[in-house]
Amino acid sequence: MKPPALSASDARAGYEGADILRGISFDLHAGEVLGVVGPNGSGKSTLLRTLTGLVSLRAGNVHFGGRNLASLVPRERARLCAVQPQTKAPVFDFDVRRFVLLGRHAHRTLLGRAAAADEAAVTNALECADVQHLAHRSVRKISAGEWQRTLLARALAQETPVLLLDEPVAHLDPGHRHQVYGLLRELARRQNKAILCVSHDLNLAAEFSDRLMVMQNGTIRALGAPAEVLRDDLLQEVFQCCSLKAGTNPFTGRPGVFFAS
Amino acid sequence: MKTGLRIILLAAGVLAVIGAAICTGPTKLLDCSKLGELLCGAPRTSDLERAALVLWELRLPRVLLAAAAGINLALGGLLLQTIFRNPLAEPYLLGLSSGGALGAVAALAAGATATIWPAMAGSVAIAAIVLLLCRKRIASDLPSLLLAGVALGALAQAFTTTIILRFDPGAMRSILFWLMGSFAGRGWPEVWMLAPAAIAGCVLVVVLHRPLDILALGGESAHHLGVRVMALQIGGIALAAMLAALTVAACGTIGFVGLMAPHLARRLAGSRHITAVPAAALVGAGLTVGSDLAARTILAGNELPVGVVTGALGCVFFLALLLRRGD
Repeated sequence: MKPPALSASDARAGYEGADILRGISFDLHAGEVLGVVGPNGSGKSTLLRTLTGLVSLRAGNVHFGGRNLASLVPRERARLCAVQPQTKAPVFDFDVRRFVLLGRHAHRTLLGRAAAADEAAVTNALECADVQHLAHRSVRKISAGEWQRTLLARALAQETPVLLLDEPVAHLDPGHRHQVYGLLRELARRQNKAILCVSHDLNLAAEFSDRLMVMQNGTIRALGAPAEVLRDDLLQEVFQCCSLKAGTNPFTGRPGVFFAS
Repeated sequence: MKTGLRIILLAAGVLAVIGAAICTGPTKLLDCSKLGELLCGAPRTSDLERAALVLWELRLPRVLLAAAAGINLALGGLLLQTIFRNPLAEPYLLGLSSGGALGAVAALAAGATATIWPAMAGSVAIAAIVLLLCRKRIASDLPSLLLAGVALGALAQAFTTTIILRFDPGAMRSILFWLMGSFAGRGWPEVWMLAPAAIAGCVLVVVLHRPLDILALGGESAHHLGVRVMALQIGGIALAAMLAALTVAACGTIGFVGLMAPHLARRLAGSRHITAVPAAALVGAGLTVGSDLAARTILAGNELPVGVVTGALGCVFFLALLLRRGD
């Protein structure tokens, strides 16, 4: 049986003595979109940082396609897992295309020129993220939303089986939010990518994710299909908000979250 | 204009400055018709002998030393600016040059004549202390590293001043002159010390151009894209420390070149290291050779420390930049 694209087993991690994450165990399979939601400070970003090796594990394991994260050299890791982080535009200038081409680093030799496959991957990533028209613009002269999509394009250019996204639609307008989540679902379906997406937008996460992971105080509070996870009692307890109610989107029939008052 | 053409024009400009620096001085070298005779080994008159001596033993090593020092400082500045993602980082800001100066001055005070190893030890010691103090924050908190460098640099300067005050006035004057940077009285041994380091540094940084481009995006991004972030940061700081130490040991402290050259280079050739490195090396060489030429000629018969000229240039450069941005 094929191992999961990404798995964590009883992972524990944190900063400077304090554990932030405890007992994190889950599998993410190829072709699946897993939405990670939770209140501020619940450990969502630390989870991403731990899965990519930025925060060291204190216990447990993380595997990419059956390969232990601890045994991967950086270039191997970058060929297995791409990340769209939350980060500002760089201090030094690059045009958008060259910036996205840096995503191909792990596929290239140290001194080699970009091969046709690299250029094709970049062109495809620019189109997927809808930033091809910005290819020759400076990354310092694009809007926050365009920057967000440029970061997504860089992650897509890595052509990895696993994509980890930290609030990929944080600065996007509704049209682009819908477009990005639709793209993520397409990537999972057509290219069999395993996608883990941290989000504060419960409705979008529920709309487009196959499963939802609800985090609370550094642990997984609930993990399952959106309809199973989005319950009134759980939402109100986790988000400390009595007005939250689970419901159904009347147009798509997918579960959603609403304010009752 | 294409970047390649800009770099070629820049190289032509730097060669012109180098030519002017070789031909300018109290001793008139040669007119063009005699240059061929000298280079072709024609029977030498006393004029030719004298010109050959000035050319090979004074002007050429001085100009080459200035160029190599400029390249080293520019390369060090470029590396530190990339590592710290801060366009104001340079060997002086991180205390590397101050550490080198302290090592060299302490050695002179102890009666040593060779300053190279003490200067190296001073710069590397500052780099090592900064890295040790911030070892847990290298990837996450680069401003702490800069602040530690500034603080240690200030401490090194205080020690250097204390040591200088113990010299007799004559020696104090010459050491101060040396500290402010000068290429006077240096020869081929200093050239052989700096030039290979400049060439090796350029080659190394060009080889690592893409990881450095990625590092300029930030430590986290570099980690995600498969770069060994900490190794590159520590290696880059160590290389910048070595280049700064060699330059301080050979020529004293020459300010602002490490700041101006990468800045100008990025404006001319873009932020990618594959083009920024040659551009920064050329700008650095042009700045130091040109500044040395100015230092030799501004006051007739009285040479200025080259650091005074680069300091004045740096001031004008950054004020102009500030005013332009203000508009």
